[in-house]
Amino acid sequence: MAIKSSLRNMALVLTLVCLGASAAVAVIYAVTKDPIEIAKADKTNKAIKQVVPAFDNNPSEEILNIPADLSSPQETNKVYVAKKGDEIVGYAVESTTTKGFGGAFTIMVGFTPNGEVYNTSVISHSETPGLGAKITDGQSHFITQWNGKNLVDGSVKIAVTKDGGDIDAITASTITSRAYCDAMEIAGNVFNNINIQ
Amino acid sequence: MNKLIVSPSPHVHGKDNTRRLMGDVIIALLPAVLVSIYFFGLSAIHLVAVSVVACVAVEFLIQKFLLKGKSSIGDLSAIVTGVLLALNLPVCSPWWLILIGAVVAIGIAKMTFGGLGQNIFNPALVARVVLLVSFPILMTGSAFHAPESGYIFGNAPEFVDATSGATPLALVKEQLAKGVAMDEIMKDPNLSYFQMLYARMGGSAGELSAIALILGFVYLLVRRVIKPYISLSVLLTVFIFSGLLYLGNPAKFVDPVFNLLTGGLLLGAFFMATDYVTSPMTTKGQIIFGVGIGVITVLIRAFGAYPEGVSFAILIMNSTVPLLNKIQPKRFAKEAQKK
Amino acid sequence: MSKFKYLLEGIVKNNPTFVLVLGMCPTLATTTSAMNGMGMGAATMAVLICSNMVISLLAPIIPDKVRIPCYIVVIAAFVTVVQFVMQAFTPALYETLGIFIPLIVVNCIVLGRAEAFANKHSVLESALDGIGIGIGFTIALTCIGLVREVLGNLSAFDHKFASSDGMLVFVLAPGAFLVLGYLMVIFNKIKGKKNA
Repeated sequence: MAIKSSLRNMALVLTLVCLGASAAVAVIYAVTKDPIEIAKADKTNKAIKQVVPAFDNNPSEEILNIPADLSSPQETNKVYVAKKGDEIVGYAVESTTTKGFGGAFTIMVGFTPNGEVYNTSVISHSETPGLGAKITDGQSHFITQWNGKNLVDGSVKIAVTKDGGDIDAITASTITSRAYCDAMEIAGNVFNNINIQ
Repeated sequence: MNKLIVSPSPHVHGKDNTRRLMGDVIIALLPAVLVSIYFFGLSAIHLVAVSVVACVAVEFLIQKFLLKGKSSIGDLSAIVTGVLLALNLPVCSPWWLILIGAVVAIGIAKMTFGGLGQNIFNPALVARVVLLVSFPILMTGSAFHAPESGYIFGNAPEFVDATSGATPLALVKEQLAKGVAMDEIMKDPNLSYFQMLYARMGGSAGELSAIALILGFVYLLVRRVIKPYISLSVLLTVFIFSGLLYLGNPAKFVDPVFNLLTGGLLLGAFFMATDYVTSPMTTKGQIIFGVGIGVITVLIRAFGAYPEGVSFAILIMNSTVPLLNKIQPKRFAKEAQKK
Repeated sequence: MSKFKYLLEGIVKNNPTFVLVLGMCPTLATTTSAMNGMGMGAATMAVLICSNMVISLLAPIIPDKVRIPCYIVVIAAFVTVVQFVMQAFTPALYETLGIFIPLIVVNCIVLGRAEAFANKHSVLESALDGIGIGIGFTIALTCIGLVREVLGNLSAFDHKFASSDGMLVFVLAPGAFLVLGYLMVIFNKIKGKKNA
């Protein structure tokens, strides 16, 4: 059976086990540190790729921090700049709304340089499956209706039709749809403020 | 020592007795069913017929082929479940939705627990809640979202006046979320008391006419099938609790009469909460049961995400019934202590 | 070989999910699809095999009074290792399983096998037990995940076979309990018939 449970033995064995465990974890940490960074950047780049036109730079290295509301400049949103060669082809804006049905959710909005929405996609959410979760369906009418719209020149009323706006909500998911409009409006304001920086 | 089983009358003994009781419940439900047929015609008949046939068939098949025993469909309890299930579903439900409901109600909520008398939760409500979670668009829609196909006979129901199709409670919750004050919301003609008492509102087939449901309730009382404690304590609690909320902030809360007449409250209080198997046996227990249902219903309606709360409230209180049944009348408890 | 019975027992006779009823929390939470269930099972199996072997190795020198803390430290170390590896090389699965990867530390299966088996048997036997229980767990999770996915999402192994949604209750918590319960009944019925 095991060795005697004297105080000396217990303290010794516990210390050795902890040291051994920490050493093993440290080694693995060092080995996997870089692949983890690469995986994280990959994930962000994938999200960016979905929402802006083709680019050849690494947008994760060109991040602007732009506020949505100029009166509170410390609250900024991340804006990734996508370039082809030296020419800017698009901006990917991360936008979070707190008005979701299941809490806050974050989307990535891609703008072409002239302010039109190229595409949008959801980064993380906790909406109801079958209802609000339909925002993750990139082919759905709700998502594709945003493409091509200009959110900053006043041509689009960013609200669901029930509230007098131009956006068709997801069936039976008005609250989620409204939250998405809120996130889009924030993204639009951020885009507007890019040129002011 | 022999156990003394304390329970109020009527006592369910042999199959004949069950049959008589179930028959009375079916008769009591007839006014509500007839009102539904009057307004929706063939669609309502489709709903009730498919539901009853499916429930009876599922019970028969399970008992004969899965359990390899005798069939008990003669006690009519499956028919009662079928009618109650139908009254809890939207009129425009396609046949497969009703069938799944029947399988859940009889197969999962009733048979898995051991058949009549053994289930903890009200089968029709379990089915309704499962369907509500599983098919949210079909279950919360009205005829205006009605699917084109899925009816064994008849067509998708038509409505004469156009409304947005939402139930009164859902309408109210939506307007509140937009920040409209309560007195503005109440000006909508679809929300008048007259409509709710006599005529129809959006929602499930059983939410239509309060008068029809009250008639059924009175019949059950007269025939001594149920005692009034549960139903009255539910309604009184809802009235008082929501009344207090209304007095506190009339702009944000509906008035208590509105609360009483809408949603499945009357259907729930008269027919679902009073189901013998899933409600307490002692009067004290029944009153606590009713108060609990009332409180939870108002909480969900006023503060929760769903516009309607009766189904969830009854199911939650169902789970407390074994505990409530342990509340002894004082006399017997004292004698037990003496020993 | 007689040692292989340790492996086989973990799959049917001592199936951790349907017979021992251990590790219910990750079972219910991660079986939203067959692939998720399989991924969780594989991650747990990796930890289980490693921790079983190391604990079997160290058991003779660990004093009895501190054995539980020592086992937990060993298990936690392996879980952290698995977590880093998944984060680096299987990021999609890492995101989906989320917080349930670190929760493998408190999965009763791992500590349970360490206490009930690994500290009394040889390293080889402990490894075989880990593999057996791990396979049993993975099969159980994959089955539950598959049923939930087919009924709730109308897809199997992430391939949709119909365009609409299924019965949503099955991808939510209540459905998890229902599927687990009924599969447990079926599993034990078949197991009972085999033994009779």
